[in-house]
Amino acid sequence: MINRRSVMGLFAGAASLVAAPFASRAAQQRTAPPAMGFFETRDDLPPPPKTAGNVPGTLAPRGRNGRMERLPEIDLESRMDFLMSVRTFANQTLSQAAGRRANDILASKGISPDTELPMQEAIALLQDDPVVSARTRTWMSVQQLSWNNMKAECENNADTYLSEMEAVDNRGPGTLELNPDLEMPDYTRHEIHIQPGGYVGNDFAGHMYDYGTNGFYTGRNDQDALHMTAAFGLPIPEDGKVKRILDLGTGVGQLAMALKERFPDAEVWGIDVGGPMVRYGHLRAVERGLDVNFAQRLAEDTRFPDNHFDLVTSYIMLHEVSPQGTKDIVNEAFRITRPGGIFYPIDFNLKNPFPRTAYGQYRRWWDHRWNNEVWTIKYRTNGLQDLVRAAGFDLNEEGPVALPRFGVMNATKPA
Amino acid sequence: MSEKVEKGRSRAAPFIPADTDAAIFLGNPHIDNLMSVVIALGAEIWADRQRIKVIERLMETEGMATTEMVEAYVPTDAEKEAWEAERMEMVERVYSVLSRDTSSARPFGEERQF
Repeated sequence: MINRRSVMGLFAGAASLVAAPFASRAAQQRTAPPAMGFFETRDDLPPPPKTAGNVPGTLAPRGRNGRMERLPEIDLESRMDFLMSVRTFANQTLSQAAGRRANDILASKGISPDTELPMQEAIALLQDDPVVSARTRTWMSVQQLSWNNMKAECENNADTYLSEMEAVDNRGPGTLELNPDLEMPDYTRHEIHIQPGGYVGNDFAGHMYDYGTNGFYTGRNDQDALHMTAAFGLPIPEDGKVKRILDLGTGVGQLAMALKERFPDAEVWGIDVGGPMVRYGHLRAVERGLDVNFAQRLAEDTRFPDNHFDLVTSYIMLHEVSPQGTKDIVNEAFRITRPGGIFYPIDFNLKNPFPRTAYGQYRRWWDHRWNNEVWTIKYRTNGLQDLVRAAGFDLNEEGPVALPRFGVMNATKPA
Repeated sequence: MSEKVEKGRSRAAPFIPADTDAAIFLGNPHIDNLMSVVIALGAEIWADRQRIKVIERLMETEGMATTEMVEAYVPTDAEKEAWEAERMEMVERVYSVLSRDTSSARPFGEERQF
């Protein structure tokens, strides 16, 4: 069984190999360096920010586990824990068995397992196999049950959860800007990852996303360890000035809040098309006493002045964006980044494409088709590096690695 | 927007629904449904087992276990690790048959001559 320590150790091991040449410089740049280069275990994380005490109107009936509020009932928590374990089983035991079956099927057709098959051919060969199908069905059932558990909890207690958000909508620290009239491009309105209502269409999208993705990370991110690692791993401008930071597609604000922990004196913004997402993010920031500004805005139309930010970033946003949206966002990032400032979107590593084995191709397809990863395949073929350069950035794809196993997209706006 | 939220309080917007509910992976929608049922039942069983563990712990340490005490109980790191391991063992024990290679499976009686 993979536990949290071994997985984060894996991340850290990969990071140390890749990031070693940058380590000393990165250490100098960090305003609050962690004890290690990256957060190897949750024990290495800085202590969570002290909660703001009892913020009127907010609830934590079962208290907090560090940065994460415990789910309100032990039964719900236990069901989500169980689904997390079945997901691990699907990702490991079942997936390995499915991969073996795929190789057997290829062998029976006289095809070498290493052959790079066209996606449609791989799908046709594998989709009816009982083990491959059982793996897919199990993963999909877990995904649906996880969302539905959280959706039922929130909607059955809608008044409670809404009242909690309403109580802090206009309370600091930090601000919340919602825009009910925002014109949303169609690409933003999909139920990505089959989350009910997607990021825009359910008032409890933030609640569902926070706890649902904790299951997706099989519990390894319950203290925002990935976001903390990313925040402390991001490079800063050569002149060392970091006064304004923007996190695009901030979701529930995990990276924005982590950046505030690293840069407590900076003005930090997190924007997202999803009103319910930033509303929940604001609630969590207020509870943590973090001065982060959230706004429901488009990443391609941020409405910030030219040359405004020292650091513009995002975490796994771009693979959820259409090709045109990506181009527009990169150009907007160039406009609002100040000369010498850095744009560093963190996302899947484009130098490490999805496995092109038949089973890898099949998985890539069902993730796109049935887990509703609408734009991921195009993200990998969209030429993001060229778009970043064409916008005017100097792109460094070698380092530093902000987040191990993810891509390096270290873009500086020429001074 | 959820029908459980009054319009005036909602900040949700129209969305484009996924069609995953239409997906059939196991050749028959009822079998697909039953897979979800079986996993959901596993979660319900684990929830009961978890509750029993907390009650047992409270009885050992406090001599009593009320509903409020069960909900408020915070497991130690050692308990969390042990419970996670036990959960994974249960999942492997119950569901590992799904990894069985059934490519040569035949309906009962088929191709059998007496």
